[in-house]
Amino acid sequence: MTDPRLSDPHVLDQPWRVWASVGVLGILLFGVLLGVLIIPVVQGRSAGIDAFTAICRALGILPGSPAQPQPASVSPPTPVSQVIWTPDVLQILARGNPERGRAKVVEVCVACHGEQGISVSPDYPNLNGQSGAAIYKQLHDYRTGSRVNQLMTDLAKALEEPMIADVAAYYAGQPKRNPNPATLGELPASIVRLVELGDPSRNIPPCAACHRPGSGGPIEAPILSEQGREYLAQQLRMYASGERRNDVYARMRVIAARLTPAEIDGLSRYYNAGFR
Amino acid sequence: MGECPVRNVERLCLAHFWVAFAAFLVAALLGTWQMWVRSPLGANIGTPSQYFLSVTAHGVAMAYVLTTFFIMGFGYFVAVTALARPLPGKAWAWGGFWLAITGVALALWAILTGKASVLFTFYPPLTGSAFFYIGLVLVVIGSWIWCVLMLVAMGAWKRENPGRPIPLAMFGTCANAVMWLWTTVGVAVELLFQVIPAALGLVQTIDVGLARTLFSWTLHAIVYFWLIPAYIAFYTMVPRAAGGRLYSDTMGRLTFILFLIYSLPVGMHHLLMDPEHGNGTKFIQVLLTAFVSVPTLLTIFTITASLEIAGRLRGGRGVFGWIASLPWERPMVLATGLGFIMLGFGGFGGLINMGYGMNAMVHNTSWVTAHFHLIFGGSVVIMYFAIAYEVWPRLTGREYPSLTPLRLQLWLWFIGMMVMTVPWHWLGLQGQWRRVANFNYADPIIAPWGPWVVVSLAGGVILLVSALLFVGNLLSLHRSTAMVVARPLYALAVHPPRRVPAALNGFGLWNVLVLILMLVAYGWPLAQFAVEPSPTAIVHRVE
Repeated sequence: MTDPRLSDPHVLDQPWRVWASVGVLGILLFGVLLGVLIIPVVQGRSAGIDAFTAICRALGILPGSPAQPQPASVSPPTPVSQVIWTPDVLQILARGNPERGRAKVVEVCVACHGEQGISVSPDYPNLNGQSGAAIYKQLHDYRTGSRVNQLMTDLAKALEEPMIADVAAYYAGQPKRNPNPATLGELPASIVRLVELGDPSRNIPPCAACHRPGSGGPIEAPILSEQGREYLAQQLRMYASGERRNDVYARMRVIAARLTPAEIDGLSRYYNAGFR
Repeated sequence: MGECPVRNVERLCLAHFWVAFAAFLVAALLGTWQMWVRSPLGANIGTPSQYFLSVTAHGVAMAYVLTTFFIMGFGYFVAVTALARPLPGKAWAWGGFWLAITGVALALWAILTGKASVLFTFYPPLTGSAFFYIGLVLVVIGSWIWCVLMLVAMGAWKRENPGRPIPLAMFGTCANAVMWLWTTVGVAVELLFQVIPAALGLVQTIDVGLARTLFSWTLHAIVYFWLIPAYIAFYTMVPRAAGGRLYSDTMGRLTFILFLIYSLPVGMHHLLMDPEHGNGTKFIQVLLTAFVSVPTLLTIFTITASLEIAGRLRGGRGVFGWIASLPWERPMVLATGLGFIMLGFGGFGGLINMGYGMNAMVHNTSWVTAHFHLIFGGSVVIMYFAIAYEVWPRLTGREYPSLTPLRLQLWLWFIGMMVMTVPWHWLGLQGQWRRVANFNYADPIIAPWGPWVVVSLAGGVILLVSALLFVGNLLSLHRSTAMVVARPLYALAVHPPRRVPAALNGFGLWNVLVLILMLVAYGWPLAQFAVEPSPTAIVHRVE
C-alpha cells in the first residue's frame, strides 16, 4: 500500500465498478435467456408449441403457458342475466336524472310502488332508498326476460335504458323511514347469527356479507333494510323453488334452498324491522 | 470511531419511537383478539365486519406505523451518533413527523369508523374511504423527508471528511433511505393514479392487474426496509455488545448494497399465481429473488464469526465452547441469538414460498401468514426491542435498575412467536385458508385444526404479555434514578477501514444498476397494460 494512487478511492473503485456491473448484469442476462428463451422453447417443444408462440407466452404477450396447450373453451355461457357492469353501463347509471325519473314515476310506477317508494301492497317491494344498481338490474332483467312478472315485464319493456337509470336514481334518493328499535329484542339469536355469521355447516354465507351497505358484495345486491316482510319471504321461496332465476351464479337460489321456512320468516322479519 | 452524545435529537427520537410502540401495543392487543375469535374458544364472538376492521387496523399499525416511525427515529439517532455531528434540517424532521402523524390520524379515523376494512395491502377493487389512502400517502411523504435528511447528513459528513469511509451504521441507514425512495414509487403510483381516484368516485373501474403489479414493486422491498435496522444492529452493535469486534466491515457494506439492488426487482414472486404476467417474466424475478438470500447468508456468516471472536476473547475454547462463553445476559446478544433461530425457520419457509410449485400449494393458506409473522414479527421486531433497549438509556440519560425484566421480555417474545407460528405453519399445510373471519369447527375436515389453533392462540397471549412488558420496561426506565454511564455503542471492525472504494462508500453505481434491473424486471410487465389494456374491475366500495 505504498503506491499513493491506491489511496485514491476512484482508483480503488475501477475494478469494483466493472465487476459489480458484470456480475449484476450477467445474472440478469442469464435470467432473461433462461426464463424467456431457453425454458419456454424447450417446454414448448415437448408440448407441441412452436418456439415463437412459446416465447410470446412466456412474455405474457399471448395467453397461456408455454408448457401446455391452451384449452379451448367449449361450453358457451348461458347467462341468467344480460346485465353486464361495463364502464358504459356505470356511466349511464351515474348520469341518471332524478327529476326526469320522478316524472316517469308519477306517470307509471306510483300506482304500485308509491311516489316515495313505499309500496301500496305487501306483494310489491318498497323502493325508497334502494340502490340504483339494484333497481337498474331488475328493470333490465324484466326487459330481457331474465326475470318474469306479468305487470313488470310489459312496463319495463316500455322504458328506454336511460329512463331506467333516471327512475333508479329517483327511488334511490327517496329517504328511508326510521327503523323501529322497539322490535330489536324480539328476534331470535339464531336469525341474527344467520345474518352476521351465516351457517358454515350448511354452506350458507352471512346475509350481511352482501346486503349490508358497503359490504363489498356484488354491485347489484339490493339493500334489504325496511323491505316488506311478505315480499321478502315470497322472493326467498321463489329462489328456493327455482321459479325466480335471475341471480348470477345462482347465489340466492343455492342459499334460499337451504333455508328452513322458519328462517325465511325470521329473516324477512329481521329486515322488515329496519335492521341492516 | 468517534461518538458523541445524542445532541438535541432526544425528543425527536423519543417522539418517533413512542408513536411506533404505542401503535405496536394496540396492534398486539388486536392481534390477540383476532387469534381468539378465530379459535374454537372464541367462535361466534364478533362479526366478520369487526374482524376485518381489526385485521386492517392491526396490519396498518404493525406494518406502516410501527416500522416507519421506528426506522425514522432510529435513523435520526444513527445520523447524530455515528457521524458525530448535529442533524441537519431538524425542523424538517419535525415537519415530517407531524405530517406522518396527520396521516396516521386520518387513516385511523377511516379504519375505526369501518370505512376502510380493506386490509393493509388494499386488495383493489375493494375500495375504502379516500381518507385512508390519503393518510397513508402522508405517512410515506413524511418518510421521504426522512430519506432526504439522511442523504443530506451523509453528504455533509463526506464533504467534511473527504476520502474517509462513512461509518457502517450510517451507510446502512442511507442504503435503506435510497431503497425506500425506490420502493415507494410503486405504491405511490398505485394509490395516486388508481386507488384514490376510485375512492373519490372519479372512476368506476380499476385495473386490478396493474394495481397488483405496482403494489408488488413495493411489496417485497418494504420488507427489507423493515429488516435493515435489524441488520444495522447485527453489524454495528452486536459485536460490541458481545465484547468483540466486527469480523468484516466490507461484508456489511456489501450486504446493504445487495439488499438495495436485489430487494426491488423481485416483487413479482408475490404474483406467482396471478394471470396477468407471463411465466418468463416471473422466472426472471424469481431468479433474482434467489439472490436476496445472499446478503442474509453473508450476515449470518459475518455475525457468527464476530460472535466467535467475542466468545474466544472471553475465554471460550473448542469448536462450540465460545458460544457458551458469550454474554447472553446482555439483551442485544440474547435478542441476536433468538432472532437468528427465528430467522433460520422463517428463511427456510421463505425458500418454500419462492418455489413456484410449492407456492401454489401454500399461497392462500395460513402458511404465508405464519411465515411473515415469524420473520418480521419474530426476527425483525425482536431486534427492534434490542435496539430500543440499547438506545433508550442514551436518550434518557438513565439506566435500567435490572436487566432481568428485559431478558424475560425477549424470551417471552421468542417463545410466544414460536408457539404461535409453528402450529400456524402446520395448519397452512393442512389447507387452512387465510383472510377469513372464522372457521366452522363442526365440520369434520376442519375440526382437527381446533387444538392447533388453540396452541397458536396461547402463543398469541404470550406475545401480548411480552408486548406489555416491553412497554413497561421502557416506561420504568423513564422513572429510574440510576444515571447512565457513557459507553461506546458501535463496534469496531477487526480491520477498521481507513479507505474504501467509492463504490462501497456511496450509491451512484448501485442506483444505475437498480435502474437497469427495474427496467428489465418491470419494464415490459408494466408496459403491457398500456399496449393492451386488460379488462378492468368494478370498484367495490366498502364504505
